[in-house]
Amino acid sequence: MEILVLVKPVPESESRLRPSPDGRQLDTEGVKFVLAGYDESAVEQALLLKESVPGSKVRAVALGPAARAEEVLRATLALGCDAATLLEAPPGRELDGAETARALALAAAKGPADLILLGKQSGDQETGILPTALAARIGRPGFSNVLDLRWDPGSNRFRFARATEAGEERWEVPAPLVVGLQQAWNDPRTAKLQNILRSRKLPIDRIPAAEVAAALGPAPRESATKFLLPPPRTGAKMIEYGRPEEAAEQLVRILRDTARVLP
Amino acid sequence: MSRGVLAVAESVDGHLAASGREAAAAARSLSEGGTVTGLVLGTALAGPAGELSRAGVDRVLTMEAPALEGRRALPWAAGIAAAAAATSASVVVLPGTAFGRELAGAVGSLWDAPATAGVTEIVGSDAEGIEVARPAFGGRATQRLKLTGPRIVLALRANSVPPAPPAAVPAPIEPIPAPELAAGILAGEPVGFAAAASTGGPELTQAAIVVSGGRGLKAPENFALLEELARSLGAAVGASRAVTDAGWKPSSYQVGQTGKSVAPQLYVAVGISGAIQHLVGMMSSRVIVAINSDPNAPIFRVADFGIVGDLFQIVPALTAEIRRVRGLAEPGRSPGA
Ligand SMILES: Cc1cc2nc3c(=O)[nH]c(=O)nc-3n(C[C@H](O)[C@H](O)[C@H](O)COP(=O)(O)OP(=O)(O)OC[C@H]3O[C@@H](n4cnc5c(N)ncnc54)[C@H](O)[C@@H]3O)c2cc1C
Repeated sequence: MEILVLVKPVPESESRLRPSPDGRQLDTEGVKFVLAGYDESAVEQALLLKESVPGSKVRAVALGPAARAEEVLRATLALGCDAATLLEAPPGRELDGAETARALALAAAKGPADLILLGKQSGDQETGILPTALAARIGRPGFSNVLDLRWDPGSNRFRFARATEAGEERWEVPAPLVVGLQQAWNDPRTAKLQNILRSRKLPIDRIPAAEVAAALGPAPRESATKFLLPPPRTGAKMIEYGRPEEAAEQLVRILRDTARVLP
Repeated sequence: MSRGVLAVAESVDGHLAASGREAAAAARSLSEGGTVTGLVLGTALAGPAGELSRAGVDRVLTMEAPALEGRRALPWAAGIAAAAAATSASVVVLPGTAFGRELAGAVGSLWDAPATAGVTEIVGSDAEGIEVARPAFGGRATQRLKLTGPRIVLALRANSVPPAPPAAVPAPIEPIPAPELAAGILAGEPVGFAAAASTGGPELTQAAIVVSGGRGLKAPENFALLEELARSLGAAVGASRAVTDAGWKPSSYQVGQTGKSVAPQLYVAVGISGAIQHLVGMMSSRVIVAINSDPNAPIFRVADFGIVGDLFQIVPALTAEIRRVRGLAEPGRSPGA
């Protein structure tokens, strides 16, 4: 089975968040970009499938500024991915979801894949639209919020569950397929030191920024306008009371008359 | 600048989902006098279409086709793009559900339009485009974006836009044919469904009020206290990971980094300490109330209102008070008894 797993370099979860000098987006000065969140689970899922289906290959793909994307791809190689493709983001060009899908479709077009796997949303913007944007771009079935993805060699189909508000649907879909993975608890493995060292020397295929830019629309259609941090919470207004009934009365009065959140 | 807007609604058990009413209300505010069209897709659409026709739209389109029955993003997106073209809509508003996000991506690509999802606020709108706000970084920040061009796709976040009051006169309902769908995008089929462990109330991510319990409840049977409180409020019940890890509640109840993200109007945290992994799943809630016996619990730093005390005393008092002000009877007693 040929698997493509798409990963996005995102700020380490411990990073301090602050607006850039122009106030439009996250200040990335000094921020470390890593493989994280649902993407990390997607890599683990790709490797689990590879281990269960002999002869499988996993190629990791990342789009971003070259240095950041390379770091993340080296991490996937150290974990056991067989190959990597780096799509260099055109510097300074903001991409909307449909354009990101166009760019990633370039990597998908380099060779046939039975499965294209992504995290259901990125660890930073968390928009969650890319799995189906890519599926629509390349004309293959696409499902997101997917749990428990398995390959059934007997029927040549993927079997998986998909989370909805009402419950879990079960699906069986033949390859090729695009999947946005919701699993965040498949206990991603950590790389061994010798594999980390080895991964530093492995080749990475590159699609240069000019080629990526040529796949995009003529002009950007999405731009960040403001990055806002919540006002520092001043702490709760504490309810002073003698008996529990008094606390309840006060709280209900506030919720009903001041905050207006009671039905 | 007036524009045509298409609002897409989902249905649940033969009824219009609340998220569809919210999409209709957002579409109305974006139309600035233009036509708002509601769209339902699938099969057996008469019920949801009727409800949508009173949700503040100018007309309702029903796209009935067996291929649209399961919720598959690509066939639905093809239908939505066709309906947008037929109605000359320049904006598509999608519901604040997990599937709404899937649709945003697929419609964005098929319609070649910028798309975003999880929109909590429409900040502004002019001839160039629409500026929206959406939470990012697990609710630790808000990113505002401007989407521009002749076509724009937005999926809302649940509970961000108040639905319109029901219209006295229903809007007209018309069928619209489904477009030809490529066989490739219809490969595979649904083979089963397991309903989420019911909390007896609304679904967690869609509820306007969420009442969550933590390890402070001490034992699974004590969740009955919270469930009573939730019933008095018409709220969904959530839990911390300490609770789901201990098996007191199934993982579908879990709020937080590795559980569900919720952003209700009111979030009540009971016996929850407020670990960062819990906070990122509920920090975008409008009003947060914490009940905890430890005055130094970190949850009080993000709460708007706090009660320091024993939840086993406070919660029953709160339930009784809410029932009193809402005129609800205690269970097991007839009203006025
Ligand atoms: C990778 C990772 C992911 C995680 N993901 C999540 C997640 O998605 N969601 C999540 O919730 N957690 C998550 N956690 C766990 C998180 O760190 C906390 O351990 C967990 O949230 C604690 O749950 P709790 O507040 O119920 O329990 P505790 O921290 O034990 O708090 C119990 C609280 O109850 C109070 N209390 C006790 N008795 C009473 C009483 N009688 N009346 C009133 N108050 C009382 C105590 O003062 C205390 O504050 C994650 C952790 C990790 C490492």
